[in-house]
Amino acid sequence: MTPPLVHEDIIELVREPIDPLPLIHHVRAPEEGAIVTFDGFVRNQSHNRPTLYLDYEAYESMALAKMREIAADLHDKYTIHRIAVVHRLGRLEIGETSVFIAVSAPHRAAAFDACRFAIDTLKRMVPIWKKEYFEDGAVWADGELPPAPVATPRAKPAS
Amino acid sequence: MLFFGGLKDVVGHCEESLDLNEAASIEELFALYSQRIPELARYRSSVVASRNQEFAAWDTLLRSGDEIAFLPPVSGG
Repeated sequence: MTPPLVHEDIIELVREPIDPLPLIHHVRAPEEGAIVTFDGFVRNQSHNRPTLYLDYEAYESMALAKMREIAADLHDKYTIHRIAVVHRLGRLEIGETSVFIAVSAPHRAAAFDACRFAIDTLKRMVPIWKKEYFEDGAVWADGELPPAPVATPRAKPAS
Repeated sequence: MLFFGGLKDVVGHCEESLDLNEAASIEELFALYSQRIPELARYRSSVVASRNQEFAAWDTLLRSGDEIAFLPPVSGG
């Protein structure tokens, strides 16, 4: 029996600044030909209001589980080599990286597609929230409600 | 049971344990909290629930030791 594939992906939540270079090096391999990265960083405004800083929090155990699920999906869907997905939590200043994704693949199309899928799915499914701080107060950012099962399948109740 | 994001601000804390006799399903659990904290009720349509780190339907029945969380719209990235 073939052993399960070990992808050696990096999936992390961190509280310190994200350094992209080690992540890019980690996914790089001689047999690959392409790396696509996504660097999400803190904008200086939100809906035309100047932002002071952001504070990210997560349901950490579930967020990591969902991030690992996304990585597994990427390997299923695309011909890629390795993935690094790191999201930062806590207070982030303007311009600081909140999420960094690197995907390596033999060819560019799969790397682009997988990287796009990773950030889009992360933003929709991973339980992380950001609070935006302004001069005159703070609000939880508008987000997306993750799709959840509508009802659990179960036997009809006896009537 | 856990509350996150804006819900945590409404409830006033983020973690609590509950006796199973008080609620049988996730829906009942949320209703129970909405009785205690009326403001919570208006969040019902913009919340998803999870059981043991997996998104769960509102009619999911509770079992002893379950970790239930109420999650407002996510805004990571």
